[in-house]
Amino acid sequence: MPAFVVSVTIENKPGISDPEGDTILNDLVLQGAHEAVSCIRTAKMLRFTIEESDGDSALARVQKICDDLRIYNPLVSQVSIGVQAGSN
Amino acid sequence: MHLKKLPMEGPLVIYEKGYDSGVLDAGGGYVVTAHIESHNHPSAVEPYGGAATGVGGVIRDILSAGTRPIAILDGLRFGDITKDKHARWLFKSAVSGIADYGNCLGVPTVGGEVEFDACYQNYALVDVAAVGFGKKSDLIRNHAQKGDLVVLLGGMTGRDGVGGSQFASDLLESQDRSAVQIPDPFIEKLIIEAVIEARRQKLIHAMKDLGGGGLSCAISETADALGVGIEMDVKKVHTRESGMSPEEIMTSESQERMLIITGSAEIKRLQDICAKFRISCSVIGSVTSGGQMRIKQGQETLADLPASVVANASLLDLASKRPSYLDELDAEPPGPIPDHTRTLELLVASPNISSRAWVYGRYDHEVGIRTVVRPGLDASVLRLDNGRYLAVTIDASPKHCYVDPRHGAAGCFEEACRNVACTGARPAGMLDHLQFGSPEDPEIFWTFLESLGGLAEYSRDMGIPCIGGKVSLYNETPAGPIKPTPMVAVLGLADRPFVAQKAADGDSLIILGDTKDEMGGSEYYEYVHGIVGGACPVVDSAVSRKNMDAVLDLIEGRLVKSVHDCSKGGLAVAATELCMTSEIGCDVGLDVPGGAPLDAALFSESHSRYLLVADAKSLDSVTSLLGKRGVPFGMLGKFGGSRMRFADGKKTVIDLSVDKAQRAWSSSLGDLVHG
Amino acid sequence: MRVGVVVFPGSNCDRDMYHVLTDVFDLDATYCWHEHGLPKDVDAIVLPGGFSYGDRLRAGAIAAHSPVIADVKRMAEASVPVLGVCNGFQILVEAGLLPGALLKNDSLSFMCEWTELLVQNNKTPFTSKFSKNQRIPIPIANGEGRYYADEDTLREMERNGQIVFKYGDRVNGSSGMIAGVCNPEGNVVGMMPHPERAAEPEINPTGRGTTSLMFESLRAGAAS
Repeated sequence: MPAFVVSVTIENKPGISDPEGDTILNDLVLQGAHEAVSCIRTAKMLRFTIEESDGDSALARVQKICDDLRIYNPLVSQVSIGVQAGSN
Repeated sequence: MHLKKLPMEGPLVIYEKGYDSGVLDAGGGYVVTAHIESHNHPSAVEPYGGAATGVGGVIRDILSAGTRPIAILDGLRFGDITKDKHARWLFKSAVSGIADYGNCLGVPTVGGEVEFDACYQNYALVDVAAVGFGKKSDLIRNHAQKGDLVVLLGGMTGRDGVGGSQFASDLLESQDRSAVQIPDPFIEKLIIEAVIEARRQKLIHAMKDLGGGGLSCAISETADALGVGIEMDVKKVHTRESGMSPEEIMTSESQERMLIITGSAEIKRLQDICAKFRISCSVIGSVTSGGQMRIKQGQETLADLPASVVANASLLDLASKRPSYLDELDAEPPGPIPDHTRTLELLVASPNISSRAWVYGRYDHEVGIRTVVRPGLDASVLRLDNGRYLAVTIDASPKHCYVDPRHGAAGCFEEACRNVACTGARPAGMLDHLQFGSPEDPEIFWTFLESLGGLAEYSRDMGIPCIGGKVSLYNETPAGPIKPTPMVAVLGLADRPFVAQKAADGDSLIILGDTKDEMGGSEYYEYVHGIVGGACPVVDSAVSRKNMDAVLDLIEGRLVKSVHDCSKGGLAVAATELCMTSEIGCDVGLDVPGGAPLDAALFSESHSRYLLVADAKSLDSVTSLLGKRGVPFGMLGKFGGSRMRFADGKKTVIDLSVDKAQRAWSSSLGDLVHG
Repeated sequence: MRVGVVVFPGSNCDRDMYHVLTDVFDLDATYCWHEHGLPKDVDAIVLPGGFSYGDRLRAGAIAAHSPVIADVKRMAEASVPVLGVCNGFQILVEAGLLPGALLKNDSLSFMCEWTELLVQNNKTPFTSKFSKNQRIPIPIANGEGRYYADEDTLREMERNGQIVFKYGDRVNGSSGMIAGVCNPEGNVVGMMPHPERAAEPEINPTGRGTTSLMFESLRAGAAS
């Protein structure tokens, strides 16, 4: 079976604050001359290399893994998942 | 209200209106403040954030009195981590939450306790106690007059945490994001420094932390406590998100916010301080005469009602009835056990007895450089700027409370006092936190009243006032209510610190106090035999006082090298703990006062007992003091070699390598967590 | 001798350090808020521990851009002794005043425990009273304390005597068991463990107070 790389980005849901992003924005970026920046959100990314019949199945499998193993806490965080062919 | 049953007055207690924390006079013009709170429901769904924001809330209560927080203690309860993966996740995440928050603030977490019991399955109890210290003259004497300004200071108000208090009584399954509170210890640290600076410049007339119920509660409680009215405009509140409704603004439980009342002459300097620390500082309203709380949105009045109505929701006099489960507990004692050595090994490595180093190693317990006695012993000791020493500990014993709520509660209070006495400090005040299931169930409400009665009686008998307390109800898991879990923190003061020395070859081991056949709720019954029932240890206040006085006198005269409390796992475990921390063996005879049979002599958790270590040159002085006081004591044996041996008459019943026990004791909790 | 204790938003060992410098070692110390320039009259600078900016992005990464750092650099070039402890060390590394990087401990968690250091360089203003290879007891309290530098850098540091302290045991996975380093000139020293927590017998559980020699060294330097 072909290999796919599935990227999982975990970040706080919109409306849930992100103190780390706020600090990087206010205390670092906006201290320079970068007023064009209005928001920074932090996220954690996991990259899965997985063998599956096709990209959609790889995506579905990883989504299921994330849900089953509580890789993110659905109460606080959301995940966005992308897939590409190949390996890490 | 039932809590009035607890004696709140004492020679050292200082009362100020509008305080969330208790205040003790520490001598020399200094005070110690203390408070305890839980964050159970939020921690059960989001243990990292729930536990962390629990730390934040109680720290702000300490700050509200105008004192700098100097210590944190945590009391944690989860399901059975040996079997339950979810309980492991809850435990690990809650510990990380407390560590990340407290460490970042630079407030040391100096003590605490952890217990696992299947009654907390899919749930968590996260109790946090905090201690503050400062000059008596710096205490905020809460007051306000017409025209004073009402200021909201700290983090922004957002939708996170809207309806959090309400959430406490909702089912945990409801996946409502609004109940999640995101911790920001960095903002909290800035608030601490800004508030301390504002206090130094005398800019604060009154102050209150924003906790459950958000602005609506803080405003109404402040107005009610100070006997004034407050008018505020929701449009003046700094919000994190646009389009928040007035209701959302008023009830948001966004963390890291303080309500401050200041004068128009002082506001500019307060704003300058907040600008220095880059925290928001919004004037949201003003103090009015009369007791009305008036909420406006621009020119429009949204609410106008007496503050006292909002603030004083009463704990109703509910029906109570002795629970039927008490008649269905196991009545039969267990049969003889084949191998006492194996049993002791099992207990030493059990989740509720093994070393807590895995937990407190993650906490910065030294920052602030006050920590004289570190976590891992009976109580922790902090040095104070007035040359005195503060001993603190926290305790609960739900297994005892389940089989006997009254004596179980009194017992956990006594145990906390014993822990403090082991450091040479005399208990000066207590905090209680009463955690139960739904009070609408008469059987649960009965256990609540019984526990409260047990605490009140011991408090009165010993003259140890309750300086603060809280109640947490509706602690229910899908499988039913939790066991009654009253938690007690005890603070003691000493003029000199007593730092335990290791036991050495030839030193004597002495037990003070009677050992009785009181095995109900013991680790021996529950962990080893799976028996829930039997007679729970009972505290006799007169005996408690006599034994404690004798211990304090022995320490005062420096006649003993160390004193260790005898509790979970009984004498066998307590003696083994002394040997493990001293890295030496001991030959222990089981001729203990009280006349308990063999298994009880080893494993009973009878109260008012202490293990003493004395060297040869002070042994006579120790025994003569104990003899003169007429307290029961027994010479158990001498330290030496590398093995723990317990003998019943001539027969050796336990023979265990200290080194082997030590390895199992120190690694087992970490091994369990990492599964 | 006047010592400047630099305070960033989130510093939390500043008061401990100030207490030890003044009450225990009788030095003159002054707090320096990070947005103000350093006073001209300071003879030494200490960057204390804590969580500047909440350790966000990377420990020390945001504080390294603070206005005070330009002054610290200027004074370091003028041979003024500079000590960074814990987060202060992380800031000095992020600011490029010291080589290497500080990564998450190999246990992946915060660690608070006592350990032992071996003194490698006793020529710095903070270590002159130690003998070489002296063992000193000291506590660590950090989450990102694993010192890392690549092989070439390590070799060069070794050659220049830039390794000031090594751990006596494997503590957190640091390259070469390094606990503290200095610049090639030796006047800028950074270390993860906390000397201010080991300087008073009352709070030092080991019964050995030799770590105090760090402050004695600084004081002796001022007198000479």
